Order: sequence, then structure tokens, then C-alpha cells
Amino acid sequence: MAELVGALGIPHNPFTALGIARGEEAADESREHYARLAAALEQMRADTLVVFTTDHYNLFFELSVPIFAIGVAQSSSGPSDYPMLPQFDVAIDGELAAEIQSFLVAEGFDLGRSQEFALDHTILAPLGVIAPRMEVAIVPIWISSSMRPIPSAERCHSLGAALARAISSSGLQRRVAVAASGAFSFEVGGPRMSEDSHVGVPAPDWAIRVSELLAAGDVAQIVAETTPAQLAAAGNASGEILNWIAMLGSFEPRPASFIEPQRAEGHAYAAWALA
Amino acid sequence: MSSFALDKVCRRVVIDPAFAAALREDPDATLRAARPPLGERERELLMAGDVGALGRMGANFFLLHQLARFELFGLTLELYARRIRAEYAPERARWAAEQAGE
Repeated sequence: MAELVGALGIPHNPFTALGIARGEEAADESREHYARLAAALEQMRADTLVVFTTDHYNLFFELSVPIFAIGVAQSSSGPSDYPMLPQFDVAIDGELAAEIQSFLVAEGFDLGRSQEFALDHTILAPLGVIAPRMEVAIVPIWISSSMRPIPSAERCHSLGAALARAISSSGLQRRVAVAASGAFSFEVGGPRMSEDSHVGVPAPDWAIRVSELLAAGDVAQIVAETTPAQLAAAGNASGEILNWIAMLGSFEPRPASFIEPQRAEGHAYAAWALA
Repeated sequence: MSSFALDKVCRRVVIDPAFAAALREDPDATLRAARPPLGERERELLMAGDVGALGRMGANFFLLHQLARFELFGLTLELYARRIRAEYAPERARWAAEQAGE
């Protein structure tokens, strides 16, 4: 029987991963935080990592933009959008993914299926740092949290709760960890960028607020405060917090086992040991 | 007003290396061949690397910045950022004042 054994919150700035790959000193702090996540993942002894993430216009655009979609395949590769990053082939847990999709659709979540896909930097940039041997199989679940319209925080939280039921009802022998990829406040290429970069953190206080609520395990408050107005003020990538909210929906609220915010980056590194 | 045609060009730069190479080789012809067709003004602004004006026309900024990441139309990420900051200086001043007043 499948078992949920842990959860991770993972930042995915591709330039950080690039700095780490190149051994740059500026990436030292992030390297240490990623090492904490690597240790947490190692302790979970997970067979499969279900990752809530945001497609950065690499998969879905012209043909269809599903609000929720899951990857059901045997393997994938990437990061497709950053060829300068280390490239990986990864196993996809298609068997579990298919079960999750069937379960969630039966529960009223209209989850689209993608059967042939590359993974972008949101999954494979950080995973290349924390699990470069790629021994854990992936199940990607894409939440359309960038291109408007985006789903509500409440809906994403419910999706995570349904995912937990899907996992606990599965007869597959799996230790499953759930991860969220992304930041709380981030602007890429837009007018809210910083004075010295093409990216920025328009709402660093919001990132800290979220991190404090995560440390306290106050998930309901995070959901309540993740309003469209808050997201608009926090940058064009701020919807990635919905990935975190979905991840948080998959277990009973509790303080993070480990959390390390980076105010200047608008994100945090976090882990929850669940078994 | 957002432009699907413009956003699609920016997206293809990332996912279609042959398209990116064609834009580098002959940007004007490649933009004229894009489907759905770009508006005349959009094409002119792209050729000029005028990302500020394209932003004002409703371009998706995440997609727009890909032109600079792939160094097309004379753009670099640094130049891209300078042009966006200049175009949106009034809004940026207002946001800074709002944050300071909090």
C-alpha cells in the first residue's frame, strides 16, 4: 500500500542551480539549504516524488492550458528550457500517476493527462542539486499558476487533500513524498523587477510572512491570505505559492521540520517528515 | 491588449531552436512569416528591441524576457531590464512610495 512519508518545499531559481553547478561562491548559502533538503529526502527513503509545479510556458500554450494536469509516462528528461544546466533522464512513476489521475477525476478534480513531456527547470534544476543520481521516480502535477486565470488557493488546497486520499487508497507498494516547487514573491522580466536585475522580489515581507506561517504550521492562514490582490502585488511568478498550498493540503497541518527563508529571493526551503 | 501572436513568438524562442536560429539569421523575414501574423507595430517594436513599448501593448513579461535571455533583437538581459525600468518609471516610483508609506 502506498504511504505518504514526507513533504518538501523547493525553490527553483535556475540561476542558483547554475551557480551551484559552476561552483560559484555566491551560491554557497543556497547550496547549504539544498543540502538540508537532500538530507530530508534521503531520510524519507521515497520511491516516488509527486511534484506540484508551474509550467513556465514550456509545455502548455497554443493547444491547451489545463488548470491542473498530471504527467503519466515512463520517463522524461530536462531541464528543457535551460540547456546550460546539467541535463538528466528521469523515471516517471506512470503507474502511480495513472491511479492518481483516475482517483482525482472521480473526486471531481478535472485533471488533464500529459503522456509525452519534457520537464523544465522548475523540477530538474533543484532536483539536479538535491538528488543528482535521479533515483527517485517523479510524478509531475502542473498547476496553472502563472497564466491567468489561475485557480484559487482553496481549490489547490483541496487538490492536495485529494492527492493524499489517492495515495492512501493505492494498493501500490510505494513510499511517496510530495514536493512543491516555487517562490512566494518573484517577478521575472516585468515592471516590478529590482534595480539591478531582470528579476525581483516585489513583496519580501510577504515571503517572510508565509515562511513564519509555515514554521508555525498555520496552513489555513496561508490559504486565507493568498488572495488575488496579494498575488498581484507579489510579482508575476507569485502564483507558485499555489504549488506549496497544494502540497500543504496533502497532510494535517503541522510546523515544518525544517524551514529556511531567503528574504531577498522571495522563497523558502522547507521539509516535513511525515512517517 | 495582449497579443497571442507576440507571446507565441517569444515562447517559440525557448522551445524551438530552429526558430530561434532563424530569428538570429533573418529576423525580419522570420517575423513576417510568423503565424498567426504579427501586427505591423509589433514587428517594428520587436525589430527595435523596444520591450518597454511591447510591454505597454500587453505582452506577457515572462515570455518577453526570453527574447533577452536568448539575446535576440540586440537585447541582453541587462539592456532588457534597463528598458523595462525606464518605460515603467512612473509606476515604479509609485510602488516605491507606497512601500515606503506602509
